[in-house]
Amino acid sequence: MYVKLVFRNAKRSVRDYLVYVVTMTICVTLFYSFLSISSRYYKPDIGSEYDFTMLSDGMKAAVCMITLCLAFLIWFVNRYMLQRKQKEFALQLIMGMEQKTVAGLFFAETLIMGMISIGLGIFFGVFCSQFITAMLLTSYGKTYQLAWTLFPDTVLLTAVFFILSFFAVGSLNTYMIRKTKIVAMLSADRENEPELKKSRWIFAVVRIFEGFMLWRLITGIRKVWFYYDSRFAVPVQVMFWGNLFFPAVTLGCFLLWIVRRKKRKDSSLLLGLLVCSVCNAFLAASVPGIIHQYYLPLGSGIKNQYLVFLLADLLFFICDLIYLASGQIAAWKEKSPEHKYNGENLFFWGQIISKLNTTSKTMTLISITLVLAIVMFIAAPILTGWASGYLDSRSMYDVQIFSRYNQVYQEEYLPQDDYLLASDFLGEHRIEIASDCTFYLYLPKKEEFHNRKKYEFPAVAISLSDYNRILTMLGKEPIFLEENEFTTQWKSVAAKEERDDFLREHTHILTDAGELTLSEESYYQHEIGQTVYNSYTNVLYVFPDSICESLLPVMRDRYILTERGISYADACKLEREFIKEYPEQTENGTAYGIRLRTLQINGTKANNFVLQAGMIYAAVVLMVICLTILSLQQLLDAGQYRYRFSVLRKLGVEEQRIKRLVFRQLGVWFGLPVVVAVGAAVVVLVYFVQTISAEISAYIGSRALLIQIGATGGILMLLLICYFISTWILFQYSISE
Amino acid sequence: MYMILELEHIQKYYGNKGNLTKAIKDISFSVEAGEFLSIMGASGSGKTTLLNCISTIDTVSAGHIYLDGTDITEIKPKSLARFRRENLGFVFQDFNLLDTLTISENIALALTINRMPARMIEKAVLEMAEQLNICDILDKYPYQVSGGQKQRCACTRAMIHKPKLLLADEPTGALDSHSAQMLLSTIQGIHRQIGTTILMVTHDAFTASYAERILFLQDGEIFMELYKGSDSRSAFFQKILNVLTMMGGGKSHVCETGFSKC
Repeated sequence: MYVKLVFRNAKRSVRDYLVYVVTMTICVTLFYSFLSISSRYYKPDIGSEYDFTMLSDGMKAAVCMITLCLAFLIWFVNRYMLQRKQKEFALQLIMGMEQKTVAGLFFAETLIMGMISIGLGIFFGVFCSQFITAMLLTSYGKTYQLAWTLFPDTVLLTAVFFILSFFAVGSLNTYMIRKTKIVAMLSADRENEPELKKSRWIFAVVRIFEGFMLWRLITGIRKVWFYYDSRFAVPVQVMFWGNLFFPAVTLGCFLLWIVRRKKRKDSSLLLGLLVCSVCNAFLAASVPGIIHQYYLPLGSGIKNQYLVFLLADLLFFICDLIYLASGQIAAWKEKSPEHKYNGENLFFWGQIISKLNTTSKTMTLISITLVLAIVMFIAAPILTGWASGYLDSRSMYDVQIFSRYNQVYQEEYLPQDDYLLASDFLGEHRIEIASDCTFYLYLPKKEEFHNRKKYEFPAVAISLSDYNRILTMLGKEPIFLEENEFTTQWKSVAAKEERDDFLREHTHILTDAGELTLSEESYYQHEIGQTVYNSYTNVLYVFPDSICESLLPVMRDRYILTERGISYADACKLEREFIKEYPEQTENGTAYGIRLRTLQINGTKANNFVLQAGMIYAAVVLMVICLTILSLQQLLDAGQYRYRFSVLRKLGVEEQRIKRLVFRQLGVWFGLPVVVAVGAAVVVLVYFVQTISAEISAYIGSRALLIQIGATGGILMLLLICYFISTWILFQYSISE
Repeated sequence: MYMILELEHIQKYYGNKGNLTKAIKDISFSVEAGEFLSIMGASGSGKTTLLNCISTIDTVSAGHIYLDGTDITEIKPKSLARFRRENLGFVFQDFNLLDTLTISENIALALTINRMPARMIEKAVLEMAEQLNICDILDKYPYQVSGGQKQRCACTRAMIHKPKLLLADEPTGALDSHSAQMLLSTIQGIHRQIGTTILMVTHDAFTASYAERILFLQDGEIFMELYKGSDSRSAFFQKILNVLTMMGGGKSHVCETGFSKC
């Protein structure tokens, strides 16, 4: 009998559960398709130079972590269904059913819907995983062929993950049903929510924010006490005092409000804190930039600390803005009778204000999640583009051996080796060497050998012949220098201003072998690898060979290009043998390193794919969660709304005007969180792009970045419009007679 | 006397040829301006169908309904909503109040959707609320007041825009006897004061006894008509009970007892 009841209930509620089933199916599809590449039965042909285990383990961890967010969606939908069915539960209880039976019936009903979603999701996941495989093989530069395979371990993991989530949420629901009294269930849909101004959640948020402000004030005082100097430039002084003054003002506002609580309005406090949070955010955002620009030593972890403060400011700003906007909606109705009594506005305000309390909390959460989703959507291609671009300039050679003298304090310990181990190993493994260059890097002046200050590290020099050999290896034209002339080679990440300033100040250079003049061709920006530069420098001098003979060689490097690629296993073996012979830190202080193209590409591509796929997956999941909650929030209350709109119809309001009302109502609930989220995301992204502008122009390019942002924005907009229109149509259908 | 509402040979059928249900067979009657008419009948007699046809919520299968000279069966569907909100007032058994609005806002809604200027609305609501004695609950929400108060609010909303015809469908159906009595006295008082034409559907003899004329429906036809005339309400109530008692025996029995209009 009960089984029959469960199936009949589930069948009857299909329309209510439609959005839930669709959303869960999308989530299961994404989960299965992304996870399928971590299956042990998944063996794509990516070549012997690549190792797949690193990628598959990374994906498994990333996908499972992200999917935990889905537990929230399952909980949210269940909570709504629980509220909707309170009257039905009350009737079942009055008829004599036990509370555990009622809870069990509801659980079974949601489980059926969940199982349908799992089945459908896995079915669609098999198709969708083809796209992921295509994405993977493209990133490894391989051709792609369709292969319809169902991976049993992925199916099992998907089913277990979602069923466990359903059970966890189901037990919570059972507890809720057992706890609720019958009379409360009967009258659940009759009462409105408490008014927004009676809601205290924002004050809990304010207290947490003030806690952060106190921490920030203490940090500001400590920084001024230990590091402040009146000779600092104006921007630095503004940063020091601003980070002390604004947190103090923010705390002061709060304390004043507590003292004069009865006289002061809550809204004036919240408005004041909103302004303070903007000022605080600007100051916190300026800290990393000013530290970098003025080489300020402010203690370890300071940048991360201020990024946490920035995050706190941003989150508080979103919460406060939505609460104030919601309060303004309610206040507007009372303050403007002209507007209130205009047409159906009275009904519209009633609809909005009756849900303002719960919805403002949900909207805040949605806004924050949407910001995260938008930032991830746009940051994913930037970060992977950066990593790929950097990989191209890092993995120029099949074997790249380099040394560092940072910890060497006596000249006799400087590296002199020719690294024959590498050529011997390649010979043993029948890997022919196509071209090879072993060279020294020199200090222009011997006295700079002991200069170890981080931002004053001297640029090193390479002899013209070695530089030309490297260029020839890479298929570039060699360069020429007159006697007593020098030129420079720059990293691609170096900004134009930095280069121009340097060249302006270095038209002549004094070396241990005499003075040199800057050549007419004052600089080159070829990609010749990252290890040819000294630590913390972006420039390399190119001196005539005769000059270099008299200089102090401080580093010894060797670059090798082979006829064919080194396999992953051989690369690992060579790396192991090299590290055994030349450790990363020797007793005399010399540091050695080896970079093998195979390992670099393998590691970067795997990490890149995990990063890109993980971020896109997370962004899609978060986006789907947000939009589904926005949509469900309206659709699940449609039963209540049907009655209200039927009253309007009876009173003689035309269908056209009702349609307009629905559009306005959905516009507010969709529009407010989306507008706030887009605004906040734009601020975060502008800051992010500005922070890594050098890397973007070096490895990605502004045009490519704009195209990426445009395409991502377009996709997000399309997704939002699709959800809005489908919710609008379903809503109209729900309230129609 | 001016006839505000005239029904001419109204018929309403449901279903198709093979399974036809005649909810209203052939009904004609008129209502004078300012009259308080009640329609009584057992369940399935066609009284609610008749009310729905008059209120333009449902369409007739045949016949014509004239309200203040306008044939409402000929009004285009697009214009029906406007016609309803400008000419009719409704009171329902289950109040039909919006839980998202306060009592005063519920009443004001009837005016705002008729595009009354905002500055006049609050005054109009207050005046009407005073007449129906609900001033003290104007700022409360429907779920915070009693059933009787809710129905008085619904009456205020129905009458505030001075409709040509007030339609009440079992207005006391969800009320206790005390609340019902209070509501009916209020409706009667307002009717006498403003002169609103009221058409009330009920199956309760006590409620019907407040009307000036009663039409008894049976199986989709007018079974008989009863005027209050100069009778006291208790005498009229007794007559209604007698009619109801005899209605079970059919038309012939009623005619034999000497009631005037069969």
